[in-house]
Amino acid sequence: MAGLYALLVGVAMGALIQRVRASSPGVIAQNLRLENISIIKFMATTIAVGMVLVYLLNLAVPMHFDIKPTYVVGVLVGGLVFGVGFGLGGYCPGTCVVGLGEGRKDAIWAFVGGVIGALVFTLVYTTIVAPMNSLMDLGKITLADVLHLPAVVVALVLGALFAAVVTFLPTNFTEQKGA
Amino acid sequence: MAHSTTQAPPAVAAGSTRLPPWATLGILFGLVSTASILLWGPIGVSGTYPRFIGAILRVVAPAYASANPYLEKMGSLLKPETYLVVGLLIGGFLASMLNREQKPALEMVHAGEKSRGMRYRDAFIGGFLIVFGARIAGGCTSGHIISGITQLSVSGMIFGAGVFATGILTAKLLKQGGR
Repeated sequence: MAGLYALLVGVAMGALIQRVRASSPGVIAQNLRLENISIIKFMATTIAVGMVLVYLLNLAVPMHFDIKPTYVVGVLVGGLVFGVGFGLGGYCPGTCVVGLGEGRKDAIWAFVGGVIGALVFTLVYTTIVAPMNSLMDLGKITLADVLHLPAVVVALVLGALFAAVVTFLPTNFTEQKGA
Repeated sequence: MAHSTTQAPPAVAAGSTRLPPWATLGILFGLVSTASILLWGPIGVSGTYPRFIGAILRVVAPAYASANPYLEKMGSLLKPETYLVVGLLIGGFLASMLNREQKPALEMVHAGEKSRGMRYRDAFIGGFLIVFGARIAGGCTSGHIISGITQLSVSGMIFGAGVFATGILTAKLLKQGGR
């Protein structure tokens, strides 16, 4: 059943990414240049809705949480490397697959680059990555653990904060009129 | 932007509410991401890349594949995440087809891309870096930023900060460099 659920989630996610134009590398570039932040706002909205709902639901039903470990050095270095590729190519690992579905020719090259990237990663994992990722490993921690507060409280406050920021911040910074 | 429908709001946002498309689609994505954590687990994409190259290597270079600790750790493609990635492909295809969009034109991401070849080169290098970086960090935009921050995980917040730091810097530098 998990496979079927994942397939349906993927179809919905792919359609939403296509509709909001996050699979367009030109739109991603506009967002990263902070000219039009529609995709950043889309992501923040998704996160705000999700965090409030999953922690409210968690009060009533068991949720399939899966917190990734915070190995500070590796997570930060990985994010910095990712950002350079995101700014250069305009794709992330999911949006290039959506772009493939839409028939974007450069998405094929992003996908092939990703597969080669994964291949090279397997060559350096043991010697470089695994030792780096053992540095400053704080384990599977959440902001609620750090603040010593109930997760649902943190989710409600942070979700409201995200919602306020996306509501009041302009979307388009290239023209004088905001979103 | 070569799109003919650049400013036309998607059909899904044309209901009684006056929310901008990023908000409507973001709320829907939040519901999808919540459903995913309720039904089987958080969404994630980048782990499928090493599983994909692992499946190829088990055929063309079985000795390397079976001796590589990272490929062993990631396991086979028989995981829900693989179905999710297949879903992204289908979702992107269906959304563009049902909306009767023309096949998207190749979009140049920055002024330095003066030919199709240069765009393919940047998409390839970008694709390489996003998957390589994501595998260092243990997740990408979906696994770390969307699912991670939704679950209040500290790793997702550190990864997101890294991605936007170099992503914004790279996009802005490329724009200047192209002038």
